[in-house]
Amino acid sequence: MNLKLLKPGLRPYLILIVVIFVLAAVDAGHGRFLTMATANGALQTFSTFGLVALGLGLTMLIGEFDLSVAGIFGLAGCVALLTGASDPWIGFACAVCIGVALGAAQGVIITAAGIGSVPVTLGGLLISSGIAYVLTHNRAVISDDVDLAMALNDEVAGPFSVRSLVALSVFVTAAAVFSGTRLGRDLIALGSDRRAATVAGVGVQKLLISSFIFSGATAALGGALLSFSLASASPSGLSDVLVPAAAAAILGGVSLVGGTGTPFGIAAGVLTLTVLQSGLNAIAAPPFAHDLATGWILAIVAVLDAPYFARRLIAFRKFIRQAFEYAYKR
Amino acid sequence: MSFALGATAAATSFVFVTILNTIGFAPALIGALAFGGIVTAVQGLVIAYFRANPIIVSIAANILIYGAASWLTGNETAYARTNPGDEFLTHTIAGVPVEFLVFLALTVLGQIILSFTVLGRNLLLVGSGLPAAEAVRLPVVRTISLAYLWAGFYTAMSGILLAVRYNQGNMDLAVHYDYDAIAAVLLGGTSITGGDGSMVRTLVGVAAISVIQVVLLLHGFEVEWRHLVTGLIVLVVIVLYSGRRAFQQ
Repeated sequence: MNLKLLKPGLRPYLILIVVIFVLAAVDAGHGRFLTMATANGALQTFSTFGLVALGLGLTMLIGEFDLSVAGIFGLAGCVALLTGASDPWIGFACAVCIGVALGAAQGVIITAAGIGSVPVTLGGLLISSGIAYVLTHNRAVISDDVDLAMALNDEVAGPFSVRSLVALSVFVTAAAVFSGTRLGRDLIALGSDRRAATVAGVGVQKLLISSFIFSGATAALGGALLSFSLASASPSGLSDVLVPAAAAAILGGVSLVGGTGTPFGIAAGVLTLTVLQSGLNAIAAPPFAHDLATGWILAIVAVLDAPYFARRLIAFRKFIRQAFEYAYKR
Repeated sequence: MSFALGATAAATSFVFVTILNTIGFAPALIGALAFGGIVTAVQGLVIAYFRANPIIVSIAANILIYGAASWLTGNETAYARTNPGDEFLTHTIAGVPVEFLVFLALTVLGQIILSFTVLGRNLLLVGSGLPAAEAVRLPVVRTISLAYLWAGFYTAMSGILLAVRYNQGNMDLAVHYDYDAIAAVLLGGTSITGGDGSMVRTLVGVAAISVIQVVLLLHGFEVEWRHLVTGLIVLVVIVLYSGRRAFQQ
């Protein structure tokens, strides 16, 4: 087996292709899986947590972990509807501003006080979801703007919708900046070895704060898009986004110790999960099948990525060989 | 760090109620503890043996537990038929709920194991520096697995107490427990990078969070302020801690 294919660089795309082939094989020519509706469903889900995965993945890439994205996602969704009743653009702007402000505050605390990002962003998660509860008085916010919701969700250009096109364009922009400018290499340097990056002249603090601003902004944009397209938002209903977003980033080849990953890889990771979900729905698999499939894929990736995997594999082969030799001798 | 303990506690409440309804209280207690212990220890084994990333493994376990639970239970709630054997867990002794006494006893037991046994010493050493622990040939795989087994038992116990209090097994019982628990542990001063921490200090962290929440409630603040205040306190305490550590160095 060529282990290179399992290494993080190409792996996200490989997993995505395998998932599509397996689903097509299970469907076995019934024509339920390879349809426009499945593709549309996958892209709609892509736009709900894809942006969160992009921001979270970027903070993982630099060796941090932004737990607060789930809270900002929900808060921004509520803020967007509360402020955007007359003009949705104001709602989008306010939501993204809140994301930027919270991201910046966390980034500054992390760099200034020199604390790990997990405790700080845990505080950020609790605070942002707390603000959402206070602003909405623990009730769902409903918007009358059904036309806007329809416009965001309507199919344009095949399986796409305005909502998924916005999400995809953010991904494409991020990928272009990441691979085309110095920023991408600086981020990888920051994630690989912070001290070496400092020595090499990377503006570590500035870059770290910018990453948290970016992840706050993308999470907020994702939350605002979702609530406008549902025409409703609630402080509690939107919080189940952290686990799929982290799973997508990990499947997308972002290592939790930092230093590996690309925006397109993260997109492939998100697509793997969403194709799996809408594909399993299309072939009428029971609802828990998606959870079980995602869980196992993630567990396998965890073991493949583990530093001791190769060592244990060699020991296992040796053990098998010795067992065979022993049996043969007798 | 684990993101699967809330799911484990909820699933344990199911296991407990199911065995309670079919066999009885004592087998249910043992079965539930075994379930929580095994589910968590398996994650610990994978993490220790392959050095797999604990966050990824626990997220995978979280998804698998919720998936398996909705498969096996059909998203329904398991109600316990009233059973006289478990009544004493909901009693009070001199005004103190038995549940709290169980919690207190487990905290003291945990602190004793942590401070006075080889396992406890090894745990702190493995936490402070894995390479060093390996260099001096500490049983790293065993220590990490046992830590997870231990966490699994304690999580299972919280699932059992939830099941007894609400007379049901339900996957929604322990929602948000993961974050609240991490907040309490951090408030107690346990280091997120490992190697420093104590059960008694965690108890203080838990007490601080619950006292604040009760005080807010008694002063007529709505429930929605709870999250905000908890978050602010966690953030302030963490910043203060790190300031003190930097000062000491």
